[in-house]
Amino acid sequence: MVPDLSVDLAPNNPRELRLRNPVIAASGCFGYGEEYAGIIDVQRLGAFVSKGITPERRAGNSMPRIVETPAGMLNAIGLQNPGIRGFVKKYPALWETWTVPGIVNISAESVADYANMAAILDEQPAIAGIEINVSCPNVARGGYCFGWDPEMSAEVTQAVRSVTTLPLIVKLSPGASDIAAVARAVEDAGADAISLINTLVGMAIDVRRRKPLLANQTGGVSGPAIKPLAVRMVYQVAAAVRVPVIGMGGIMGLYDALEFFLSGATAVQIGTGIFVDPGLPIRLIDDLRHWLEQEGFSSIDQIVGIANDGFHLGAPHVLTAWEAAGV
Amino acid sequence: MPAAPVSMFGSSAKEPDVPTRTAGGGMPGTSREFDSEVLSVERIMGDAILLTVSAPPSVVAHLRSGQFFNIVTRFSGSFDPLLRRPYSVYRAHVETSSLTFLVRAFGRGSAWLAERVPGDRLAMLGPLGNSFTIPGRAQRLLMIAGGVGVAPLVMLSDDAVNQKRDVVFVMGAADEAGLLVPSELSSHIEYVVATDDGSRGHHGLATEVIGDYVPWADQIYACGPEPMYRTLRAVVDPLRINRRPRTQISVERGMACGVGACLGCVVETTRGMIASCVKGPVFDLDQVVL
Repeated sequence: MVPDLSVDLAPNNPRELRLRNPVIAASGCFGYGEEYAGIIDVQRLGAFVSKGITPERRAGNSMPRIVETPAGMLNAIGLQNPGIRGFVKKYPALWETWTVPGIVNISAESVADYANMAAILDEQPAIAGIEINVSCPNVARGGYCFGWDPEMSAEVTQAVRSVTTLPLIVKLSPGASDIAAVARAVEDAGADAISLINTLVGMAIDVRRRKPLLANQTGGVSGPAIKPLAVRMVYQVAAAVRVPVIGMGGIMGLYDALEFFLSGATAVQIGTGIFVDPGLPIRLIDDLRHWLEQEGFSSIDQIVGIANDGFHLGAPHVLTAWEAAGV
Repeated sequence: MPAAPVSMFGSSAKEPDVPTRTAGGGMPGTSREFDSEVLSVERIMGDAILLTVSAPPSVVAHLRSGQFFNIVTRFSGSFDPLLRRPYSVYRAHVETSSLTFLVRAFGRGSAWLAERVPGDRLAMLGPLGNSFTIPGRAQRLLMIAGGVGVAPLVMLSDDAVNQKRDVVFVMGAADEAGLLVPSELSSHIEYVVATDDGSRGHHGLATEVIGDYVPWADQIYACGPEPMYRTLRAVVDPLRINRRPRTQISVERGMACGVGACLGCVVETTRGMIASCVKGPVFDLDQVVL
């Protein structure tokens, strides 16, 4: 029997976010879908997420915007995008001709702006869902990142929830000091699903010029280098919430993706991996099906969270682990 | 005691069910990815190499000068260095269905590529980007190359000679050893050189010897480091009439995706921030903010 790869990322929402398979192209790494249309069979993906859309168009940061780091990269694109009005003028009509679900990632610097964008998207055709990027500075709170604070994250989620019935994914920031608390807060505020992790804030210094390499000083770290952090946070969040969790961070192949599913992810997103290996997401769909069949599973649902027996973090536990390692 | 050491790349080292891949970029399975074999390696321009690799006939046949390929520069199973490296084509060979790239070890990716030997496999993505264009009425072409920036201009000069255009090819390098040997260019081309140390040709920059050729030229092409473009503009602008001749430059940017998705390689132009991998790497010098 061919294993069933389909997943529903919004089981509590009548509008559903049912995907044929659990492999999603991540925001920022897949443009608006059309960029990869001539390179891979975009329609075979479970879904894709647009670049981050903002209330107004943005030119983005100065160059350099990307720096390679050990087994990873730093990016500070600066949300270059046509703005919500520019977006709706072009992409819903294009996406309507596609079978693959398109999810829109939104970023803003105030609660009202998030809600205004969501209200506009609610009236558009061919939008399968909204992914809220809470890793943005909250101008009303002196630029403190929404996603680092459970209450601020919940406030954004609640405001967006109140203006749209679209399936709502909140993309968590790994910079939060208690990411499980943020996850619970956005679940309570009406999130249909939670995706994580966004990039980690990092820096690299140009020793010769005695300056940061990125024009923006800081950027987001992604790629295989961050995978263990991502797996830990997905495991931790999956143990804390009931809504579906979408895992991402450094997935470069089948076994990376399986780590996320076993930790409790219902679906995965591929970001940086697509840059270096455009065929990866499509290959992953086939590899997943093959692996499930080989291991005797009839659906992807059957492996979600089976390595997750609750998240434990405490000093005695850590000490024991070090001792066991003979350090 | 700790268990036996495992690969620092975690789970991928113990994947028994994943098909073996020849290079770090994954199996070709997309329309612009292909697996390529290194056919020959030849020393050139001092410490650089000409790396000739196999390519599908359809790729070679439709390739235009200035286009580039994103090449994986690491072994299978390794994720470091992670990003592909963009290389424009030095020469395309239809008869042997192969491509030649000019590689100088500079960073980790190019150093890995410079160590390849015949028989090695490479994961290629391309051709990517736009290309140089030779306008129908442009008979006299001036090409200006800085160091390894010479690569796409060699292919362009081949095209130009095939189209019976007149070409003056100016190259600048640090020293004589860093110059392209004249036999690499068609004998129909006038080849002018400049070296920083004066060991061959003009003692100084390539942009210092082009003054006489600018009024002659119908179109100018340049590829080199970014400061060269600033100097070029300063030299060419006062010599132009009605903004002619126009100058096409190939801009080098570090990039991630190569297909316009990440917007990490943008060039600031008079029309905004434009992805150099899709709308470039060739730009009109007048439209680039330097």
